[in-house]
Amino acid sequence: MFDRTLRQTQAPRMKVIVAEDSDLQRLFLCSLINGLGFEAIEAADGDIALDLVARTRAEIVISDLEMPHLDGIDLTRAIRARNLDQYVHVIMVTGADAVDIRDAALLAGVDDFITKESSPALLKARLQTAVRLINHATELADRTRIIKETNQRIQDDLRAAAVAQCQLLPNLQDEVMGFRVASAFVPSAIVSGDMFGYFELNDKKLGFYAVDVSGHGVHASLLSVAIGHLITPDYFRTHAFDADGRPDPAGMVATLNARFSAFDGDDYFTMFCGIVDRVSGRLDFCQAGYPSAFYVDPAGSVSLVGDGGFPVGMLSSATYGNNTHQFEIGAALVICSDAAAEAENTSNQPFGTPRIGDIARLFPRLGVDEIPLSIVQALNLWRNGVPLEDDLTVLALERKNPSDTYNNA
Amino acid sequence: MIHTTTLDENITLVRPGAERLTAANAKMFKDEVTDIINGGANRVVIDFKNVTFLDSSGLGALVGVLKKIGHRGDLVVSGLNSDVQQMFRICRMDRVFVVYKDVDAAVQSMAEYQ
Repeated sequence: MFDRTLRQTQAPRMKVIVAEDSDLQRLFLCSLINGLGFEAIEAADGDIALDLVARTRAEIVISDLEMPHLDGIDLTRAIRARNLDQYVHVIMVTGADAVDIRDAALLAGVDDFITKESSPALLKARLQTAVRLINHATELADRTRIIKETNQRIQDDLRAAAVAQCQLLPNLQDEVMGFRVASAFVPSAIVSGDMFGYFELNDKKLGFYAVDVSGHGVHASLLSVAIGHLITPDYFRTHAFDADGRPDPAGMVATLNARFSAFDGDDYFTMFCGIVDRVSGRLDFCQAGYPSAFYVDPAGSVSLVGDGGFPVGMLSSATYGNNTHQFEIGAALVICSDAAAEAENTSNQPFGTPRIGDIARLFPRLGVDEIPLSIVQALNLWRNGVPLEDDLTVLALERKNPSDTYNNA
Repeated sequence: MIHTTTLDENITLVRPGAERLTAANAKMFKDEVTDIINGGANRVVIDFKNVTFLDSSGLGALVGVLKKIGHRGDLVVSGLNSDVQQMFRICRMDRVFVVYKDVDAAVQSMAEYQ
């Protein structure tokens, strides 16, 4: 009697709740709907229909306007108020002249209308519209789910990468060769383009470095991790001393530059590395585009160490020089990536080098352990809690009194 | 993103067209300047008068275009604000780029050395 194409295309049959208090009318509608290839579910009033929507997960409701207990408009409101997984397409059956009611019904969330006098062909057309919308919504929901799952997988991978990266880092606080070391490592994304390390090179010398790969995020982190694997204590011992055994951090930086300028890309990194003698306090360092370090003497007076140098891996022709600085007992050296000075507040004002110096000068009062965290907290306040746009590293070293901490014999 | 103007003496003036040259737009900047170099521009002034901030990616892009022009021509910069100047100094870029106070100074100097 009716076209059966819908039945053939829908498998399993889509459920349609028919909320209608007149037994005769309900039976008639249900038989039409079943005939169109849907599964009609009978509901004798609004309350029953609402309960069935939740239990059967039906996506289409055809509801009479006037019903005992819960009328069609209240039923629609109740459906919309429930946070259901599926969208429910509501078609209201009204009288042909019920224009005012239609406005109220639309406001309540009704999607479409038919009249009691509507032909089976019109009912079929309305149901086809509903199916089209439902299929579209289902497709969108599927796509959203896939995007969410993919995103979750990427996030999980990144977190695993971040854990692997952090395992390359030394202890954030440590006591090594008469130096107290404290640090902070704050990636702007999950992984960081920064890397740092410090280690005993021989019985007198401590080596340390900090690296900041240009850019940030995953791309920069791949290079920073590669550098972290490359610069081992052995690498330092082999490349950061000259033929006569004198500290030559610039030699190591030049070796790294030769290696990393071989690639034809815009990637490069900045670096600050040094070798400090625990007995004499002589610091030999090489600054390669990394911000100058803050030297804080025991009285809290701050000076900048280093006046610049070429970044690494940018120009194969770059040359590097060694510099020295006397590292007094009771003094501290604070190395801080450019993320700190460049961090802007809500008025686009950068935090600036002097403000970092102001925190560094608190070292005699606070102790070296507190300096990295104080800088992180000050930046957090400066940015009103907004995460940094670049990766932050703070490395602070204090030269302790040998008699306090280290057997100087 | 970049704005280009052809000046006398066949000099091309490039303005980055963004206040901040950072990881977010450095590649676009590099690609667009590379296009004008490939299009035949060989005397280029990049003016940073309206650029307030240049990060490490921005600097990488700038060095990238300098390498691109190589010996085929001149690429100079002008109008660096104090923060950008400081970055140039720390990275020794003041030894890599010829830096002028402003576009006029750059153009005058380039015209003399034609």
